[in-house]
Amino acid sequence: MEINPQSIRFKMPPKTLKPVHQETTVAAIDTSVIKIGETSTGTLIAVRGANVLKHNKHYKYTRLGPFIFHITEENKHEVYNTLQKAYFDSPLSLNHYSLPSLQQTPTRIANLLERWLQSITAKALSNALILFDGSLTAGTPDTPIPLMKQILADARKRYNIVLAFSKMTNLRVNGHVITELQVGNKPPYLLEMDGLKPKPPITVLGDVYVAKLAHGNCAFRLDIDREVPSEQQIQSVEKLIGNDPLSQSYPETLRLAHIFCTFTANEVIAMQHFATRQYGLKILNRPDMHSLLFGPFGKGEYHS
Amino acid sequence: MKLYKKEGNILQILSFPNESAEKGDYLLVEDAEASKALIVQVIDMQFASVPGVLEELLRTLPDGGELMQGEDFDPLEIAPHITYIQDASILICKIRATMQNETLSPSSSWLPSRSQSTIKRLALPSLLKLAKIDGKLPIILGSTKDSSLLTIDASSLDGGLNIISGKKGTGKSHLAKLLMLSLTGYKATVVVFDLNGEYLSLGTASDGKRNAHYDKVHVLTPSQNFKVALKQLNLHVLLGILIHALHLPGTSAREFRRIWQTLKERDALTLHELGETIRNWNCNQHVRDALSSRFHALVNSGFFTDNIAEATTLEDCFFRTKEQGGAIVINLRNTSAIDRQIVVEYVLGKLIELLTSWKLKAAFLFAEEAHLYLRETYWDDIVTRMRHFGIFTTFITNQPDTVKENIYRQADNIFLFNFTNEHDLDVVSRAARVDAETVKLIARDLPPHYCLSLGKAVRDFPIVVKVKALDVKTMGETRLFFKDMN
Repeated sequence: MEINPQSIRFKMPPKTLKPVHQETTVAAIDTSVIKIGETSTGTLIAVRGANVLKHNKHYKYTRLGPFIFHITEENKHEVYNTLQKAYFDSPLSLNHYSLPSLQQTPTRIANLLERWLQSITAKALSNALILFDGSLTAGTPDTPIPLMKQILADARKRYNIVLAFSKMTNLRVNGHVITELQVGNKPPYLLEMDGLKPKPPITVLGDVYVAKLAHGNCAFRLDIDREVPSEQQIQSVEKLIGNDPLSQSYPETLRLAHIFCTFTANEVIAMQHFATRQYGLKILNRPDMHSLLFGPFGKGEYHS
Repeated sequence: MKLYKKEGNILQILSFPNESAEKGDYLLVEDAEASKALIVQVIDMQFASVPGVLEELLRTLPDGGELMQGEDFDPLEIAPHITYIQDASILICKIRATMQNETLSPSSSWLPSRSQSTIKRLALPSLLKLAKIDGKLPIILGSTKDSSLLTIDASSLDGGLNIISGKKGTGKSHLAKLLMLSLTGYKATVVVFDLNGEYLSLGTASDGKRNAHYDKVHVLTPSQNFKVALKQLNLHVLLGILIHALHLPGTSAREFRRIWQTLKERDALTLHELGETIRNWNCNQHVRDALSSRFHALVNSGFFTDNIAEATTLEDCFFRTKEQGGAIVINLRNTSAIDRQIVVEYVLGKLIELLTSWKLKAAFLFAEEAHLYLRETYWDDIVTRMRHFGIFTTFITNQPDTVKENIYRQADNIFLFNFTNEHDLDVVSRAARVDAETVKLIARDLPPHYCLSLGKAVRDFPIVVKVKALDVKTMGETRLFFKDMN
């Protein structure tokens, strides 16, 4: 996201929060994608989504997947378009630039699943806090503005509030990453950002905060639906800290959603087993070029 | 199943949940290209080290330690594949033999192909056939896991040294009875030192009636139906009792020899005369006292008598068993430690006497908890000298550390029941005919009445067998206080 760093500033003072213990349903959505292997014509990937609900002090999860795709240069657009149609009924701003490359396709497929999960959660719950993984930035090829606006509108219609937590952010104030700045206040508090002016077509559909919700070293970027009045935004975070345990300022429900959708090595082996048994696909063991070229100095392809 | 690793003579085989294998099972690792196969035995099983399993398990328990409720929409049905991988196991197998052209050799010096080898279960009947574990004098030990009968050859016990060991209540005495009765069935002479009166009813069926072995079982209870007259004794047998059981010093033993000669010349070998002679014998007072105290020990044992009519001739018992075979049960129950040693010294002395004079061909000796009555020097005698005389011993014990290490090293057959104590397993694993891992890993998990047979009888292919039932009245049960209480 391209943003003019000169314009970003904090709205001081930080807003101190008091936990509100009024029983509120908390929902969280996350998806993950993993490469299972390579074939002679393309890549095998698996996508999975998880929705975790905390209601009456109990967690319940719904997990979708894994869905396995064999993506090739030939079928990548067909697969993506078919899924987009299936999830959202009509294709979203399909122009040549929004079509993913072979490398981008796995992430884009996972994004489609995530948006769909967010969309149905927003329509299914009421008076709930819905936690997204990431920001409320729209206008990117995988998150068109109308789609994200629709999800937020659907949520608002049923008195839900969307809170989006980003584990990583590039936003900086005076050259420092916003989540690393110390303001000296005792958590929990919110520090509102001002002056965010992303370059079109990118739009931020939320008010952006730095959220330090518990003791510890971590703070997160928190986007809250901009259409929700400011007091309600603050109250929603107070309800969150009153209803969901926070570890290092990160809500447990969202942490569980992440855990439930993430693939373990065991599952990758199982999916490889499935693909070879069920479809007779031969997974290739391509030589690790790092090891091949650099011997003990090569760290392997998964290390940067 | 897939071949994974080989270290020494241990093979690791990757096994999936639908390929069931248990400890003790035999597998055939066949390399068609090499026209050879390895016969391996599963001695342990471990979970395969599949990456990500810990995360998988942790993921299912995040709600305060309780299983988290939820739904999985798994349209491709990947979950069974995940559990399939998660439940994969590594079978730790010991190489037992190489098979080439239907012949077995103990070699493990070649490596089968990891990618091409096929691995399948080797049914025990096939193994028994390949290893030629049968024989002309069959003894059915019991049934193996796949319900086939394990039959050993009685001749594998002949001339050998056997050990039956296991913790209390696992079925040691039951197997001993089975071996004894099977041996008597082949006209063998069997002597049992019965410490707890467990073998007294070998001739009685479980319903209390006489069984087929009734006429072959002779129970001798010291000081009741088993007494000896001094006249029947050889001097060296009695000296054996005095020196080894009653610890008579050498000088006193020399005086006793002279007293014995005197009485023998006078044809006055009676307890009364012996007592009188010791009392009046012209010798050092200390020697007289030593002889006198031993004399009273002999008298008090009740084992010796002057009444020839009530004296038992052990020879007669042995001769009775000589033609048709039979078991002489020496009932040592309710016998004091000293008296027990006196009786054992007498029986062993007499047995050697009969064997050295070839009046008896050979005898199978079954000794329960032998450390309680066998003197130190006998242990070495048993593995060396006595085997040559024709005494083939089977030790039965629940305290394996009471049997000397050299006995384990020399043992031809070991029948091992369950042991959980590491120390006990360590002791048994010193046996020369088996490797320590097999003993430790298989014996630990044996259920009651299951026995791991090792050694000559099973041609060094350790086999787990459920010992067959016997129609013999159970004796030697522990007396219980709460047994008849409601």
